[in-house]
Amino acid sequence: MTLLRVKDLSKHFGGLTAVQNVSFEIHRGEIVSLIGPNGAGKTTIFNLISGVYTPDSGGILLDNEDLVGRRPFEVCQKGIGRTFQIMQPFPHMTVLENVMTSGLFGRVPKISMRQAEEETKELCQLVGLGDKQKAFPKNLTVADQKRIEIARALAIKPKLLLLDEVMSGLTPTETGEAIKLVRRLRENGTTIFLIEHVMKVVMGISDRVIVLHHGEKIAEGTSTEVANDPKVIKAYLGEKVEESEK
Amino acid sequence: MNRSFSWKTVILLSALAIFMIFYPKIVDSYFLHLTVATFLAMIMASSWDILARTGQVSVGQAGLFGVGAYTAALLYQRVHIPPVLGMLAGAILATVVAFFLGYLTLRLRGIYFAITTIAFAEALSVIWLMTPRITGGAMGVSTPPLFNGNREQAYYLILIILALVIFVVWLIESSRLNFAFTAIRENEEVANVMGINPTRYKVLAFLISAFFTGFAGGFYSHYNTYIIPYEVFGLGISIACLVMPIFGGLYTIAGPIIGTILIKAIEEYLRVTFSYGHQIAYGLILVVVVLFMPEGLLGLWKRKIFPLFKQPHRV
Repeated sequence: MTLLRVKDLSKHFGGLTAVQNVSFEIHRGEIVSLIGPNGAGKTTIFNLISGVYTPDSGGILLDNEDLVGRRPFEVCQKGIGRTFQIMQPFPHMTVLENVMTSGLFGRVPKISMRQAEEETKELCQLVGLGDKQKAFPKNLTVADQKRIEIARALAIKPKLLLLDEVMSGLTPTETGEAIKLVRRLRENGTTIFLIEHVMKVVMGISDRVIVLHHGEKIAEGTSTEVANDPKVIKAYLGEKVEESEK
Repeated sequence: MNRSFSWKTVILLSALAIFMIFYPKIVDSYFLHLTVATFLAMIMASSWDILARTGQVSVGQAGLFGVGAYTAALLYQRVHIPPVLGMLAGAILATVVAFFLGYLTLRLRGIYFAITTIAFAEALSVIWLMTPRITGGAMGVSTPPLFNGNREQAYYLILIILALVIFVVWLIESSRLNFAFTAIRENEEVANVMGINPTRYKVLAFLISAFFTGFAGGFYSHYNTYIIPYEVFGLGISIACLVMPIFGGLYTIAGPIIGTILIKAIEEYLRVTFSYGHQIAYGLILVVVVLFMPEGLLGLWKRKIFPLFKQPHRV
């Protein structure tokens, strides 16, 4: 069943085309990866879905409800949680307060302070921050700061979770833990759409992969299909020498 | 963000309340007048700090103060509304004005709001001077002394309002509003993506701030018996509103209170010894605080002084 439907999405910044006629669907319970070289427009797509940018044209439907023109807090309350590529925890709030803020305001209907606090504590356990709830973000490792990002996105009980490069900058052990976490989230019923650069991760956990290049979708399919697609290989590695000389 | 009350706090608060109730019997009339002026400043400092909690710096609190002051004074002069009701009317009108100003300007991020607030207060001052038939113009408006000059009653009125402001700040601190305000201050974009409507909470903070600042203005006009546009809409009032909380410590209940007591003490001392010295003091304090103690006196106490009195940990 389709959860998110993106149709002919386009976004320009001045003369620069960031996203051009991109369409795709994400089904309930899937893990879908969005990959592409630097500057391909991946984060722009996330910003369009979460309402940070307004698309120039095209549609974004969550459960058949149009999200175009909605502001970020409204999109959040409709059930889309997201993390940021560059971690942005609130520096003067503890881990617990960081995550609780999201639970207090992102949920519809609203929940009480007490309930938010209880849920936040459970969530901190789930993402592996159980013993660091009273710490301030600046005293935490990169991996733990990414955990805050994920916990904040999860605190709204999202239907759809957008993860923007949560695995980059992690050690192999930490990446392994993060993959386990993503799998566990899916088992709990969250649909996951992620941007990732670490190919091992993409190949390992994705049900489907969408490839973006210069703002356009050039391929879509299972990880094996995509990995063997000549257009994808060209986008990532360039053309073969003989071909380009023809 | 702790909501539990200990017995110690309850006893301390009760003792403070009793002291405050009997305070006018202890001190002389002049000192009582100083206390009233200090409480008035505390109300304005705390109100400014409420808005500052959302990361917005208002440099035009005088605009709201003046609206409150003139509403109360003119209502009394024209239709003889009882002073306390006039103050309430002033508070409400200031809130309405803040709603329109905030709704238009609080969508913008950064320095725009601060600039707009200065322009707002200055514009009001000019409008007042240009419409003397309605506003009294440069001659100002005068009213008879509040409560027939009974300072004790004035003291109790301002004490109640101050207690109310502190209670409201405490309510904000212990509710979900605190999370919204702090999140917006720390990172508005992220707060937005987490389900917080930044404009809504910034406007709300501004409305609360405006209500009490407007009330303070209304009280001032009746207590002082005479107001002129240069003074009540003046930059001096706007600056005072922000120096006191910054000095004491931002985003706390005690910060604006402590800051106000010290600044008023300095001001009173300089008033006797060195005219207009307090304005120099404001400037110096701002520079020193911003450079050397960004968390104000409270931060200085918590980080530097308080640890000196603690027993060193034995190894």
